[in-house]
This record gives sequence, C-alpha cells and structure tokens, in this order.
Amino acid sequence: MAASGLRRSIDVSGYDLRLAMPLAGFFAAFFLAPLAVLVVLSFQTDTTGAHWGVTQYVQFLGDAFSLGVLASTLWLGVKVTAVCLVFGWPVAWLHARSGPTVKSLIMLIVLLPLLTSVVVRTFAWIVILGRQGIVNATLMSLGLVEAPLKLLYTDLGVVTALAQVQMPLMVLPLATALSRIDPNLVAASEVLGAGEWRTFAKVILPLSLPGIVAGSMLTYAASITAFITQSLIGGGQMLFMPMYLYQQASTLQNWPFAAAISIIFLIAVLAVVTVFNTLGRLSRGFAQG
Amino acid sequence: MLTRRRLLETALTLGAMQAFPGLSLAQARPLVFATFTGSWEEAHKAVLVPAFRKANADAQIVLDPMLSVDQIAKVNAARANPPIDVMLHDPGPALVAIGQDLVEPYPVEKSAYFKDLIGEAQIASGPAPFFQVVGLTYNPEAIKTPPTSWADLWKPEFKGRVGITNMNSTLGTGFMVEIAKMYGGSEANIDPAFAAIEKLKPNLAAVAANPGALASLFQQGQIDISPGNFNAIQILKARGVPVEFVAPKEGAIAFKTTIHIVKNSPNKELAFKLIEAALSPEVQATLMEAPYLIVPTNTKVKMAGEIAKVLAKDTDDLKKKFVFQDWAKINQQRAAWIERFNRDIKL
Repeated sequence: MAASGLRRSIDVSGYDLRLAMPLAGFFAAFFLAPLAVLVVLSFQTDTTGAHWGVTQYVQFLGDAFSLGVLASTLWLGVKVTAVCLVFGWPVAWLHARSGPTVKSLIMLIVLLPLLTSVVVRTFAWIVILGRQGIVNATLMSLGLVEAPLKLLYTDLGVVTALAQVQMPLMVLPLATALSRIDPNLVAASEVLGAGEWRTFAKVILPLSLPGIVAGSMLTYAASITAFITQSLIGGGQMLFMPMYLYQQASTLQNWPFAAAISIIFLIAVLAVVTVFNTLGRLSRGFAQG
Repeated sequence: MLTRRRLLETALTLGAMQAFPGLSLAQARPLVFATFTGSWEEAHKAVLVPAFRKANADAQIVLDPMLSVDQIAKVNAARANPPIDVMLHDPGPALVAIGQDLVEPYPVEKSAYFKDLIGEAQIASGPAPFFQVVGLTYNPEAIKTPPTSWADLWKPEFKGRVGITNMNSTLGTGFMVEIAKMYGGSEANIDPAFAAIEKLKPNLAAVAANPGALASLFQQGQIDISPGNFNAIQILKARGVPVEFVAPKEGAIAFKTTIHIVKNSPNKELAFKLIEAALSPEVQATLMEAPYLIVPTNTKVKMAGEIAKVLAKDTDDLKKKFVFQDWAKINQQRAAWIERFNRDIKL
C-alpha cells in the first residue's frame, strides 16, 4: 500500500516535469543559447573577433564615465522604486480596506495604464511636462512661475514619468500582501494599547514587507531597463545603461563592448535582485516570527 | 544511420546544387527590399514598387523597412543566404556595410541611368538614388526673421530655444562636422565644434536622443530652432505644425542615401532592376513631387515645386548649394566623437 502510494507520487512528479518541457526547451533555445552567445561575444577584444580576452570588461570597469552611467542607472531605479512605494502603498492599503465595489474600481484604475502601450503613456508625459504642457500652463496661470519651468529632459521628469509608468508593478503585489493581513490583528494591537502609528509601524508595515519586497523588485528591474521612457523623457544627454548599450551595439556596431556592457548590467541587476530576495526572506521570518 | 545509398543521395544532391545554383530553395522567395521606415516606406510603396513591377512583369517584391544598422546586422547574421536583397543606407552605415564585405558592386556598365547621375551620386559600390538635405528648421510663429546661417543658432535672442540631437544619428554627426568646418575644423578635426557647442549651452533647450524626437519638441513648443532634415520638416508642415526649412548660406548638408545589391543575394538580377527603377528619371521625378519631396540625383530630372523653391533650381545650383561630407574620414573617428559627446555635453 505504502509502496504503491510512493510510486504514484513519483509518477506524478515525472509527469509534471514532462509538462514543463516545452517551456524549458523554449527557454533553452531562445534565452539561454543567446545569453551564451552574448557571453562569448563579450570576450572578443575587437570587432573582428580575432583575439580573445577581458579587454572590454577592463575598458568598462576602468572608466569613470562608464561606471558613472551604471551608477546613475542603478540610482534612478532606487528613486523610482521609492516614489512608487510611497505613492503605491496607500493605494494598496485603500484597496485592501475597501468594500467590493470600490475595490474593483481601484483595481481597474491601477490596471488601466497597463492596457495602453508604454510609448503612448510616455508621449502623454511629453505633453504634460513640455514648456506649454499642462504643468507649466497651470503654474503660469496661477502666477506661481513667470517663465515655463524646464521639466522635460530633466532627472525629475524621468523619475516622475517612470514612477507613473511602473506604478501597477508596485501596487499589485502590495495589494495582494495587504489583503492577506488579518484585520483582527489591527484590532488586537489597538486593544493592547497601541496608537494608530504604533500599530502601523509594528504590525501592518512588517506584515506587508513581502509585498513591498516583491513590488520593489519588479519596479526596480522594470524602471532601470525602460529604454523608451528613459530616452524620450530624458533626452539625448542623459545617458543610462539601455541607451549606452543601444549606442554601442547599433550606432557604433561595437558588439563586443555592447555585450560586455550587457553582462555587467545583468550582473549588477542580479546583485540588486539578490539583495531584495535576501530582504524578502528575512522579512518573511520577521512577519511570521 | 549512414548507409552507402544515403551517402550517394546526399553527394548527388550537393553536386546538383553546385551544378544548378538555381535549384536552391532561396531562389523561390520574392525580392526583399529593406527600405527605411516612415515616409520612405510610404514613398517607395506608392511609387518605386509599382514602377518596378510594371517594368519587370509583375515580379514579386517585399518591402521590409528597417534602420540601416539593423539591415547590416541581419545580413551579417546570414551572409551566405541573406534575408535581404537590396539595402538602403545613410553614408556612415554604407561604408560599414562595404567594409564588412556585405555589398555586391553595382554593374555600372549594364546600367542605363548610372551615367546620368550627378557626379557625387555615381558610386560603384551602390549609387545614390536620393539625397537627404539638412538645414535649419524654425518655428515661423516664434521667429519672425528667418535664420540664414548656422551661426544664427548662437544668437542671444534664442536663449533656451535651440534644439540639437546627439551624435548617434547621421544628422547629429553631420551637423557637428559642419560646425567644425565653420570654425576651422574638418572631417578629421571636430574640436572646434565641441568648443562651439560649449558656447551654445545657454541657448540649448534640449539635446534630443534622435532627430525624430526633435519633431515632437517643435510640436510641444519646447524648441523654436534646430538643425533639421528637409523631408522630415515637410511631413511636419503637412500635418499643420508651424515649422519652416531654410538652407543656410554656408550650404545645406547633403547626405547620399545609397542603394546596394546585397552580396550572395539569390535575386541579383531583380535587385539590379529595382535599383535601375530607383535611378530612373520617371520614378525620381514623381518622388520629387509633394507629398514625398525627395531630392533627385538624376540630372535628367528637372527640379520643380518646393525643392526648386527652397533648395536648388537645377543640378548646377544644387552642386553650389549643397555641401557633401567625407564620411570615410568621419567614420574613422565617429565612435570616439560619440563617446566624447556623451561625456562632455551635459546640460
């Protein structure tokens, strides 16, 4: 009896693996193989591919300008993630505490931007942030500024636009995490004498940490690689990694250097994601323990 | 299982393919022409393709619009059996394609039209069926006196109103070379241009990532004056955006857009026929008219319309008013310049 039960469980897991085969094959052919090609390419010392070495990596890592581009890209991600978190958390909280009608309304509003293309949303931001855009027109008509402010092609503009574009990626995991919090815990905290802020800091916020970590990871990864928004709102003189990569690969046809840039960028992002993951593991322990 | 019969079959097949190259499967595909996206594709679909099909018994042709650099990447990835038969290139990428041995020399002696082209367009690696022209673009509602020179961009009254693009694009690089020339530099010496851009900073409202982005900046009133491509401006103008084009007195920068037969193309003969159609005075004359306004290179085409009015009355006038740049020299240092622009031009 026990033996047949064991065999069945083995059969079931074998069946599962086979089910995953098509996707695994797809990944191997269209993700792992090109990635391997990319790694190989990054070890060419010049575009002809005659010599091999780590020249491209040395060139990038020994160059203050390139490292600056990497740093500003990673920093951009931090800023966008912070903005998304500060504005997204209350929305998610509202979603978790509302009745069914309001709940679905909030979800619709959060999801709505995802239904339009990133290009369209970014162009809307050009219209909003432009010299004669909505922001400047309002400020001027209120008499708050005399000349139009420069908002487009600035750091502030890029962070604002990216935060709006990536907001759903933050709100969705947060909403899931917050709706899982048992409302009785809040009541218990209050009964035990904690004020609203104390309840927030000691109960709700720690319990929402898994959602914060998941949302931050998604937002971060999406905002540092957002080529379209970065170049349309940031313009030609604010260089971030995706544009740098495109410039080297496409305009200059310097594939080995472009490949090295991608690998370095990939490793940097993986490092950040690992940090988030570790935080996530710690927070799970914190939330449950 | 490798049997003797199987081996014989394979050997025979390979032998037959060697003896009759026409047997290869690639022959079955239609002619593929990689034009540029946007207005170029529209113009080629409406004028060039019908003319080609009429002259060649309705031969099958597919337009596959993409950027020059993507064309090079695609052909490079499958040199032996390229997915494209005819490439269209800006001067910089054209030299890259030739340098990477992706281009078949144009059969000049077979061509009926090659000898009629303007001298600058007679290039054996691939002739230039069109010119692209870069001059000054301005908003006539904001700027009442039309600018006349590149130097006007530095005028104090345009403080915070000037747009340029970075050097990624042909336009951006060509503009910088022209500015260098104005201040004693050349295709080999860009230093004066960088010094001049440093002085332009108070006037700079935007450094766009590409020439296309300049168009939306005009629409948003973000900039009032910039270097611009004649054709791109005509399209904006036709859509009601208040923009005008002027050729500066130093001369408008002319880029040769060259058309090439791809090396190892299975459709060489049709590719040649397509290029012949693009060089023919009939096609060029039609493309010169509105809404396309593409500058012709065949001397048999009589200049007319907007092009005659704004750019050049005839071929002699065109030679006087257009400035051609030496892209072989530019390409040698272009990568370094783009890097330098990345580093130095911070607003």
